[in-house]
Amino acid sequence: MSEFIKVEIDKSKCLGIEACGGCLKVCPVNIFDEKNDEPMIVQKEEDECTLCDLCIEACGPNAVTIHKLYEDY
Amino acid sequence: MRLLEHESKEILGRYSIPTPKGDVVGSAEEFNMDGPVMLKAQIPLGGRGKSGGVIEVSSAGEAKEKIEHLLSTPIRGYRARKILVEEVIAVSQEFFMAVTYDTVAKDPLVIFSKEGGVDIEDLSATQPEKLQKELFTVRARLPQYRAREIVSEAGISGRKLLGLGAILSKLVDIFLDYDATVVEINPLALTGDGKLVALDCHLEIDDDALYRHKDQAEKLSLHDRYEGGRKSTDFELRAAEIDNLDHRGVAGRMIEFDGLLGLIIGGGGASLTAFDAVRQHGGRPANYCEIGGNPSVLKVKELTKHILAKRGVEKIAIIMNVVSNTRVDLVARGVVKGILEAGRVPSDTVAVFRVPGAWEEEGFKILSKYGVPYCDRSVSIDEAAKMAVERTRC
Repeated sequence: MSEFIKVEIDKSKCLGIEACGGCLKVCPVNIFDEKNDEPMIVQKEEDECTLCDLCIEACGPNAVTIHKLYEDY
Repeated sequence: MRLLEHESKEILGRYSIPTPKGDVVGSAEEFNMDGPVMLKAQIPLGGRGKSGGVIEVSSAGEAKEKIEHLLSTPIRGYRARKILVEEVIAVSQEFFMAVTYDTVAKDPLVIFSKEGGVDIEDLSATQPEKLQKELFTVRARLPQYRAREIVSEAGISGRKLLGLGAILSKLVDIFLDYDATVVEINPLALTGDGKLVALDCHLEIDDDALYRHKDQAEKLSLHDRYEGGRKSTDFELRAAEIDNLDHRGVAGRMIEFDGLLGLIIGGGGASLTAFDAVRQHGGRPANYCEIGGNPSVLKVKELTKHILAKRGVEKIAIIMNVVSNTRVDLVARGVVKGILEAGRVPSDTVAVFRVPGAWEEEGFKILSKYGVPYCDRSVSIDEAAKMAVERTRC
């Protein structure tokens, strides 16, 4: 489980892999994977997130959010 | 990884570079040659001739006696398990050639001299004009025409020029094909009948490239190569496995010590400074371990767990120079996560975290959350080492 970073995809906004897939294409540390044409989060990789925000910029409908769990302290 | 002479010569043979006819024996009973021969102890050291590791013998009886002698006599901390037996070559002239990296120019470098058989470091210091040096590129390699130009500049012409140029070009191929850090033929002999023969060869493969040369890497685990020298401990081998978990950064170049303070250190040579500072303040390191180049959280986490799993290690100090190429927050994540997965408490386990540099504000937020004692660049490496030692004593 992730200790420091939580990445979420708002399924109600996400366009799916075929129509978009931006998050999957740009993430440099493979936090996103694909299942049934939808992006999914690889939980064991979340703590590798470099906070580059490329996934947020690549996501047209703003479906991706990143939470720093250590700031919720 | 330094190959033994006979292992290096086997590779020369694959590139059609002539070597003396010979055999490798592990006992006197295996000796089966006629006439005068050279006996060469197979140990991973240069200067064997001066240390009694190379002997010329004239008869089979003498050869067997000297083989037993070489197999039973330590040479500068090593004992040979194999002896290379070779025909004696009548030498009319000796040359030197080598390929290595020029770490200042950051390019591969070929070196040639028509005065081989000597200590090349001495020649370089006293008569550098006798060495021909030429940088080349990995992509272009060293075509034979360029190799011949280098040899020609040393004042060599005719048939010798063609032969030496061909061998020099092949030596560059070996250097690049085997991911070597150095390959050297010294001496390369011109025989009485005009042939060129490599009498000795020194080849070292970059340890980080050994995964591409499994046939060579497997030799490291052979127990009959030689005795002596320091072998990696299981603790160090496991750390190397962690370093190979992914390609990102370095986290696992480990040397094990018998102290109780775990160390994760680095930063452009600062690892040695930090290690010495810990020792100077009376600390007893459990290990020396470099990190750098922005290792993944996974690697730092596994490394932290590995160090903490060592018997008696209660605390760990993370000390680096000011770094721009390693993210402080990613190191902090790895360290904290490793401690948590080891079932320990971060605030009790970290003696000091002194890693200033890129993304330090983010890293300090993480460390603050877990109560880990940290310091920024206003605290020197020496002061951080002192803190670590004092907190380890508590």
